[in-house]
Amino acid sequence: MRRRLIARWQGIVLALVGIVATLWLALTGQLGLYINPATSWFAILMACIGALFAVAAFAVPPLEDEHESEADVSSPALRGKKLDRAREHDHDHDHAPSTPPGRVRTALTAMTVVGATLALLVLPPATLTSAVAAQRSINSDTSALDGGGTALVGADTSSFTVKDWAVLLRQNPDIDAYTGTAVDASGFVLPSAEDSENVFYITRFVVTHCAIDAQPVGVPVYLPGWQEEYEADQWVEASGALGANPAQSGTDPLVLVPEQLAGIDEPSDPYVY
Amino acid sequence: MERPRGRAGLGLALGLGLVLLFFGIRFFAPEATGDLLSNSVQDFFTLSISVIIESLPFVFLGILLSIGVQVWLPDGFLLRHLPKNAVVRRVTLSLLGVLLPVCECGNVPLTRGLILRGLTVGESMTFLLAAPILNPVTIITTYQAFGWDDGILVSRILGGFVIANLIGWIYSRHPSPMSLLTPKFQASCAHAHDEVPATRTRRSVDMFAKETGAMLPALFVGSAIAGLIQVTVSRDVLLTLGQNPILSVFALMALAFVVAICSNVDAFFILAFGSTFMPGAIVAFLVFGPMIDVKMLALMRTTFTAKTLVQVTVVVGLASAALGLAVNTLA
Repeated sequence: MRRRLIARWQGIVLALVGIVATLWLALTGQLGLYINPATSWFAILMACIGALFAVAAFAVPPLEDEHESEADVSSPALRGKKLDRAREHDHDHDHAPSTPPGRVRTALTAMTVVGATLALLVLPPATLTSAVAAQRSINSDTSALDGGGTALVGADTSSFTVKDWAVLLRQNPDIDAYTGTAVDASGFVLPSAEDSENVFYITRFVVTHCAIDAQPVGVPVYLPGWQEEYEADQWVEASGALGANPAQSGTDPLVLVPEQLAGIDEPSDPYVY
Repeated sequence: MERPRGRAGLGLALGLGLVLLFFGIRFFAPEATGDLLSNSVQDFFTLSISVIIESLPFVFLGILLSIGVQVWLPDGFLLRHLPKNAVVRRVTLSLLGVLLPVCECGNVPLTRGLILRGLTVGESMTFLLAAPILNPVTIITTYQAFGWDDGILVSRILGGFVIANLIGWIYSRHPSPMSLLTPKFQASCAHAHDEVPATRTRRSVDMFAKETGAMLPALFVGSAIAGLIQVTVSRDVLLTLGQNPILSVFALMALAFVVAICSNVDAFFILAFGSTFMPGAIVAFLVFGPMIDVKMLALMRTTFTAKTLVQVTVVVGLASAALGLAVNTLA
């Protein structure tokens, strides 16, 4: 009985944890930290429907319990049939929660619920960090990230996002043609894997569907000794102009040479989509 | 009549109280953790939560469709309208995703509902494996990502169709198909046709409670495993194998298993690696991933025995690899 109760309420409680987390993120405008805003409506709609069912489940006693209590007082033949089914049931879960396997199962259930509550309701929402960006190879193939490799060479750069700049720079534009082009970009600091002394990236994650598919894109910034003032993961805003990479090394022939660079607070929309 | 109404009211109050409690916890939770968590631990939580937030609506949708099939469709409706011939029936079921475009997470509760409604295990597996690929959303996004290039779209559709029907055929020949299911789900099947004196609404709510009890622990644990693998396994290791016609296929299948990404958008995800990997590797990723990944295995374990899942994984893996290698050979 206790085992059955736990099995039933574990699902409902986990559902409510997920539902409240989703709705709270939506209400505070932070759902975009985890999923693409284009699909937010679906997550919110299903959370509301789920909430109706989950709350209603509290008002409805489990049907199986009633059914089985009816069977208990019915014919011996029915009782035998129930018993056979109960034995099949027993393969997967015992009816004695005080036994060690029962206690272990109860402890695992409690850990799942507590862990889910901590992760979804107690920990503050957060963006992915530079650790993931470093693991996923920045600008690994940005020509594909715009959904078809739109040619940005020659386009108006005045409203370019970090993603646009990353796509453009990966299309190997003529260095002379773009030297002196003004750039204004904000993102978090990710040290260059090849020339961390002189270059870091102003980085954003591109999220197609959810944070799992986040791909880091960034604009390389040439600033020798940047570590003295800035650190990885710090959000910064830079303005300056593109120029040939003075270090002549690495995979970035064009870099942003900043005229102004300052730390900023993490924006409410840290990802690009 | 007074006591049941009183109990229902008390239950409702309890449910609403729990919702308020959770909102209260969220409201009073700290706004920042400072340096309490390292980057890797923080990313583990962010990625795991992302999988949950992304998957939960689809699981709810799958449960609702399952409720629709089990409670609201007339008894025998589904079986009556499916072809009698076993092969044609499986072919029809593998195309059912066109009508019920739920991504792979939602397909598990729906598949459970189909089994409870009388479909055989083999038939249900055919639907479970085919529907994430053979549905309009997946086909459109794959077309948007790759067009007709290198036969990737056609290979994905045909590959998904053939592999799902192959699995269905294999398990249709099993001497004791019910033994492929977990004992707990076998017990649910045994109860499925019992007469329950309750309104459809009440049965729907009860079924929602039961299905969330089965699916959500698996989803939460599966999401945590997916998040953990994401922060511990470097993608660079897999990506360095990209241009080898054989190793690239297995590397992207491993990537599909690890990232556990939704089939509706996996084409855009892998498009980012399009120039790194050979077409056969991309096809293997797009066919294997929707059928088998770390999150799906956790969800499927609610219904199928571990032995069954190992067998299915091996067969789907070998078939996907063969398909990928064939595409690379022809490319």
